[in-house]
This record gives sequence, C-alpha cells and structure tokens, in this order.
Amino acid sequence: MGTSRFPPSIWGGDRKRSAEPLSQLLLRLMSLRGRGLWFRRPERIPDAWAGSGSPTSPSPRAVELLFAAMQRHLGSYPLSPGVRVKLVSAGFQTAEELLELKPSELSREVGISKEEALETLQIIKRECPVDLSRFASVSISGKKYTALELLEQEHTQGFIITFCSALDNIMGGGIPLTKTTEICGAPGVGKTQLCMQLAVDVQIPECFGGVAGEAIFLDTEGSFMVDRVADLATACVQHLHLIAGSHLEEEHQKALENFSLESILSHIYYFRCHNYTELLAQVHLLPDFLLEHSKVQLIIVDGIAFPFRHDFDDLSLRTRLLNGLAQQLISMANNHKLAVIWTNQMTTKIDKNQSMLVPALGESWGHAATIRLILHWDQKQSRLATLHKSPSQKEATVLFDITAQGFRDVVVPSPLSPPVEPSGNPRKRSRDGREEE
Amino acid sequence: MDWDQLELNPKVIAAIKKALHIYQHKEEFPAQHKKLGFGCPVFNRLLQGGLPLVGITELVGQSSAGKTQIGLQLSLCVQYPYEYGGLESGAIYICTEDVFPDKRLQQLIALQHQLRTDVPQDVIKKIKFGNSIFIEHAADIDALFECVTKRAPILLSRGMVRLIIIDSIAALFRCEFGIQHSITKAKYLQTLGAKLHQLSSGFQSPVLCINQVTDTVDERGLAGTNLDVLARVSPALGITWSNQLLMRLMVSRLARELSRDTHAAATGTVVRTLSVIFAPHLPQSCCHYTVSAEGVKGAE
Repeated sequence: MGTSRFPPSIWGGDRKRSAEPLSQLLLRLMSLRGRGLWFRRPERIPDAWAGSGSPTSPSPRAVELLFAAMQRHLGSYPLSPGVRVKLVSAGFQTAEELLELKPSELSREVGISKEEALETLQIIKRECPVDLSRFASVSISGKKYTALELLEQEHTQGFIITFCSALDNIMGGGIPLTKTTEICGAPGVGKTQLCMQLAVDVQIPECFGGVAGEAIFLDTEGSFMVDRVADLATACVQHLHLIAGSHLEEEHQKALENFSLESILSHIYYFRCHNYTELLAQVHLLPDFLLEHSKVQLIIVDGIAFPFRHDFDDLSLRTRLLNGLAQQLISMANNHKLAVIWTNQMTTKIDKNQSMLVPALGESWGHAATIRLILHWDQKQSRLATLHKSPSQKEATVLFDITAQGFRDVVVPSPLSPPVEPSGNPRKRSRDGREEE
Repeated sequence: MDWDQLELNPKVIAAIKKALHIYQHKEEFPAQHKKLGFGCPVFNRLLQGGLPLVGITELVGQSSAGKTQIGLQLSLCVQYPYEYGGLESGAIYICTEDVFPDKRLQQLIALQHQLRTDVPQDVIKKIKFGNSIFIEHAADIDALFECVTKRAPILLSRGMVRLIIIDSIAALFRCEFGIQHSITKAKYLQTLGAKLHQLSSGFQSPVLCINQVTDTVDERGLAGTNLDVLARVSPALGITWSNQLLMRLMVSRLARELSRDTHAAATGTVVRTLSVIFAPHLPQSCCHYTVSAEGVKGAE
C-alpha cells in the first residue's frame, strides 16, 4: 500500500466511466477494509455512519452516503466560473475524478495554471466529507451530536501543559487538543522557545498529567536548534524524576523508564520548509503521515507568516492559499484529535496617527485560529503572555520566563534570600536570582 | 516556485527527520551543529560556538562601537580551516556608506599570528587572506539588490565565499524612503531579507548585517523589543527587518561594571560590551571586549 501516493481510485482508473452498481461498490470497499485502509480507528466512526452495521463493516447506508459524496457534481463546489467551465469541458464531472490527480497533471489536462489547480484541489478536499485515501475519522454534516455529548467530550479532552502554571491556568489547563492556537509576538520574545517546549511536553506520560503523544515540527525560519531542544528535554526528564521520587507508586517509575532524552528526540518529527510551496505541500501530505504515525498529538508550524510575507504580488491569491492552509490544519485538528499551533509575526499598523503592533497576515487571518496568544514585553523588560482570544476562557495576562530549563513561571525571589553576587560572565540583573536553581 | 516539490510525494514525506537523528548525526546536519568562530574564545563561549551557518545575524550598535572591526575580523576568521572554527572559504563584504578600510585590513592580516595563538604559524602563513575577500560598494538600493541577487550567488555557488557581510544595511534604507513610502520600504526590506535567507540556507553560509541605531524619544518606539528604555536607542529599520532575523547582537561603548576591569581603566583603552539581544539557542547575556591592533579580543 503506497501511503505516499494517492491510492488507486476504487472506481477504477478511467475517470470517464459511469457509476458502478452499488453491490460491486460494496465488494470493493470490503477488499479495502481487508487491506487495513478503511478502518484505522473503529471507535471514531460516528453514529450516522455505523447505523445498522458494526464498526468494522460499513452499513449499506454508509456506503450510500459515501457514494453520494464522491459523486457530487463539480458545479456545487465554490470554484471560479472560468475554472469550472474548463473542468467540465475537459470531461470532469464529479469530485472523485479530480482527487486522483496531482496538481500538475490537473493543470496540464485542463489547461489552467498550476496555482489554480492547487487551489481547486484544496477546495474539493476541504468540502469532500470522506477521502478514501486518508480515512481515519469523519466530520460530515450528517453527524448529529447533542450539546450534552459535546460537553462531555470537552471535559475529557486533553491539554498539553506548558510548564508555566500561570499560563496553563488562564488557558484552562494548557494548549487544548482538537483546537488551533496561534502564538504571536515580536522577534525574540519566546515564540520558538514555547514551541520547542511544547514539542517536549506533549510526550509527558499520562500518569504525570500529559498526553503521551508525538510531535511534528514544520520549520520555515530555520530557528529550530536541536541542542536547545535537547536541553529542554533533559530538564523535563529531571523534573519528572523529581516528581516520581516523591510518589511511591510503581506506575510513575515504570513510565519514566521509556522517557529519556533519546526517546523524546526520536518522537519529534522535523521538517524544514524553505518557501510557501514546500509548506503547502507538506501540510497537504500530513494526513498520510498521520495515518502511519497515529500517536502524533501536536503539529507545530513555526513561522506561518514568514514564507507568505514576500513574493506575493497577488494578495488575493495569498488570502486564498492561506485560507486553504488554515482549513486543512483545522480539519486535521478535528479529525485526528490533535493540537495545532502556529506562530505569527507582528507588524505595525498606523491607526489615527498612532502606530501599534498587530499580528501579521491581515484581519481575515485573525479568524483562522480558535485561540490566540500574544507574547510581549512590559516596561520593566519582563515577558508577558496575553490570552487574546479564546472560546471558553476570559482574556487575561500573566508573566512568564525563559530559563536555561525552558519555558517556566516567573520565580519571585523571596525577600529573605541574600542578594546573589554576579560571577563570571556578567548577565542582566533580572536573571541573577535564578542562578541558584 | 518549484512545483516539482509538490509531485515528489515520497521525497517530501521522506524528508521528515526525527530530531534524534539530527542530534546524533552531527556531520550530516552542519547547519545545526557547526558554527563560524570569532577567533576569540570569549566570544565563542558567549555565542556557544560562533555564528550559526544558516540565518541572518544582525550586529547593531552606535557609531564607533566596533561593528566594522568585528566584521573585518570575521572575514578573516572564515578563511581558516574547519578545525580552527573557519569555513575554508572567503567572504563578500558589501559597503554602503564609507570606503572599505583597506589599511586596517592589511594591519589585521599582518598581526593574525598574534591574535590567533591557537593556530600554528605555518597554517596562518599558507592562507592568502587578501585574495579571498571580495569587496563591493553599493551606493543605493538597486546596486545592493543587484549585488545580492546576481553577484553573490555566483561567488557562493563556486565555493569562493561562505560569508556575506553587509555594512551597513540601514544606511541605504534610511535616506531613500520618507515616512510616506513606508510600505514600499517594508516591501524592499522583506524581499531583501527573503533573498538573503535563501542564499544563506541554500549555501549554508552565514549572513551578517550591520545596522545602526536611532534615538527613541518615548517608550512607544521600543514597543515590541526588550531593549532597555534607559538606553534610549533602538535598532533602525523597525520590526519589519527584525522579523527576518535569526539572531541579534548589540555592541555599545557603555561599559557596564567598568570598575572590574582595572587594567583597562589604567591603560585608558575603551571597554565595549557585546550583548545577545535575542537568539533561539542563547540566553540574554553579554561580555566585554576591547579593540586592539591585532583585532577584537574579549575580556575575561
């Protein structure tokens, strides 16, 4: 099974064929199930799909819905008229015919530009409720949940802690899974540090309050320094050993056996994107990767603004590509129950002769993330984190600090401790109190 | 725009690496582990090795703080072999304001053996320092772009240089753009930053941009930075440029804790300070240094 390519269409190779009878279709789906393609996580199948069938075999109703989805006519998608006319005249009628092709093949066949081909595929994928090549879970308008069920789901959903308890508190426990979080801030305030810290924290075993997951790090700016991550990981392991030492239960000790520097680093998957094409391509292909690595609980994009802020004369194309990107990330967060984080730059906005710092990429991008965290400095050079936008928590600001061990709370030195002599390499005054840690 | 990337699905997926692999196989990932040394153990300790190979580093400070001296020293350091912290290649030095200080460079070359006591004499004698420094003068922005987009890639692709120094980047942008052209200025800065970034990551070569400071009248000018308000200066070119940087270093003549360095105070040499303002792998810290005949030397 080639997970790195779009698998062959179950309808057969020739896209101009008419639809198969339902029974034959069912047989093909069964064979797919046998190859493990179909059901990766049976517990995720929502009720609307399982219907009268069991979780491991699709009911006829499920197949009917799938059939209907794939046969949906192109005319119902929000494509631009010019592109639609060209697609229809080239012989494409339904969504599934398009999904088999790669963007360059599509642009060659139809006679549209490559950017338009990419955009079209993004739209189709976004609207198509079930994609056979990456079936793990379904989000489709036919699904019905009551609000009570959703509330229960919310309560059990996990959080990734940041090790800064003040920040975790205002966020309701940490970075939430199934949601997208944006971290904005000026250069040097600590966005990459927070991302590296979270890539380590997501792996904390469950008995210590973590989610025991893996992380994917997409780096566009080149600011990922593996030695620094190694330092953070070592500090985290030591911290957990201290906690385990005070607990006499065995499970804590056992969980720590597998939690070492090597295991932490081996569960962070790193990819360097040099331009926006690579970033879009990698996000496009992430669902395949997630099928093979089902323990991933965190996707980090460090520097989502960086590749999009130059090189774009056509701003509307940029907006469309960004929207497509956001939609893909949001759908991955929902379907695979993981947290998606991205970092954004700040830019100056002139408003009534006053300049202020606002997150980059425009007003419309502000709607892409569910939660927005803004990191900044105050007058006294301390670092602050403001929870700017959240569906469930109120807006609040806390102090945080970045130490040699990583992202932490600010430690207020007690008035009784003696003043520390600065020694060796002179450091800024505010850091002296922490040299004893 | 490389559309072939999108088609090579297996290649793109295979390019995902585990962080452990990067950590353990240091030779395969020089961008993460190797650094360009400064030729001074104090500086190398402060920066945990030196300049990172990929990314734009900014050196900002008041005039006569020693920025050009550090730039000249780096253009000599890059020519040493790998085991002495160099990259065995030359440097391209782009001057935008003053004439290149050729006499000072000759003086530094003549005294290299005094500065680099860690390198054997015969190794130093073999390197022809003057031949590998390519000097460009860029009087306006178009000339700078021409140099960065056309001439620098040729030198980099032939392996003749592995360090780009721009001295200074603020000079051109501050005079040509008034307040009303701030959007055009931002666009130029972003394009320049992107191009430098591309060269840096494509050829694994550090880029050092020297920048000036401006006075700030009130605290709003410092919004978004962690610089001391009392210092009353902030780097020129604002946040548009800061977003392009990997690392920012600040030099100043305000010697803190001058009383500790009694020797320097007695001989009257000016003690300067080099601080790390931000870097993804370094804490905020600083060290002192002096500029002498043989170059820039950190003070313990």
